Amino acid sequence: MVFRLEMFIYILVFVIAFLSVMILTPFFIKLGRKINLVGVDIHKIDKPIIPKTGGLILIIGVFSSLGAYILLEELSLNILALISASFIAWTIGLIEDIRGEIDPRVKPILLLSSAIPILLLSSYSPRPELPFIGATRLTKIYPVLVLASFPIVCNAVNSIDVLNGSISFTSIAFFTAILIVSIIHQSEYPLIISTIMLATLTAFAIYNKYPSRIFAGNSGSLFIGAVMASTAIIGRMEVVAVIALLPHIMNEMYIIFSMRGLRSAKQYNSRPITIQDNLITASLDREAPITLVRMLSSKIKVREDNLVRSMSILSFYSAFLAVLTNILFMR
Amino acid sequence: MSLARNTIMMIILLTIVWIGFILVTFILAYTLFPAIEYADGDSVLGLVRVFIGVTVLASWIYGWYKLTKIWFYRLMLRDRPLN
Repeated sequence: MVFRLEMFIYILVFVIAFLSVMILTPFFIKLGRKINLVGVDIHKIDKPIIPKTGGLILIIGVFSSLGAYILLEELSLNILALISASFIAWTIGLIEDIRGEIDPRVKPILLLSSAIPILLLSSYSPRPELPFIGATRLTKIYPVLVLASFPIVCNAVNSIDVLNGSISFTSIAFFTAILIVSIIHQSEYPLIISTIMLATLTAFAIYNKYPSRIFAGNSGSLFIGAVMASTAIIGRMEVVAVIALLPHIMNEMYIIFSMRGLRSAKQYNSRPITIQDNLITASLDREAPITLVRMLSSKIKVREDNLVRSMSILSFYSAFLAVLTNILFMR
Repeated sequence: MSLARNTIMMIILLTIVWIGFILVTFILAYTLFPAIEYADGDSVLGLVRVFIGVTVLASWIYGWYKLTKIWFYRLMLRDRPLN
């Protein structure tokens, strides 16, 4: 009976998140054009203008569904910490969407503030589960890791949002891994969050996939990143999250290392890719940053949607490795 | 070289990075972390273990990036003149 009630709650939150995004997105596409919250789709010949109001619809989808969950169950401190952390990251992203790019050296410092609700509400355990040994004591350094995780994950998700649909499909892979591990360990918190995120992102992907009708914007990507970081920390799935996020972290790390620090891509002369007749190919300039898209398009001319498919395959492969690590090496 | 081949090359790179991660955690699991569990209140040992942990992690990340450069420029972009 309890199982049936829980199943009903999971199905209900999934349906609310999915339907709210499906139904409301066309309205937010129109709203984006009306208030001029738009971006240029630079990988197309005709450079179409696309609304970047996806962040608004993502937060509505997730929060409305979480609201229903709170009404049916309870408002726990963990849920409150996640809502606050992701809202702060979303606000920083929205400011960037409206006012333009924040200095790449300042943005990580601002994103540290997203971790504050987690720390203030003590929604973490300083004994993360590690492969081979299980829970280990990191009392002093763990809060520092919590602080650092938000700028890293948020920027990693932000940096992968470069092609139509890339953010949706790569994030779906991440939350699939979290969902599977939550089911294995019967962890309620990450299970409910991953269910809601999968519903929201699946509905959003329908509009965000090639050719995009809406972009997630910085508000959307930072919001997704903050939810990922919060879920990993509060749900005690740090290792699973790190492995599931390998393509994201790879991409961000390569960019930072190639550009020798935190710099705006706009200030950088060499582009990682070149575009000809709607086909993408890797730059042969040694000074150009190494990115996932550049690596995948090396020596070939490839369509944007095919590249996104490859990025999704990499993300789902990482999600598989994350689940495998949990099964084989975690106690 | 096709997109499928590039994707497979990236999957192999991801697998190597993953194996590296497992190896790093394996080494730490049997060297550093047992010391953490039985070192209550010793601040010098505390600093040493943080230093070792950060060094091992930083070495893994550095190795990862170096491997990627070799992977990309020597394997994936082989036979292409770079500017």
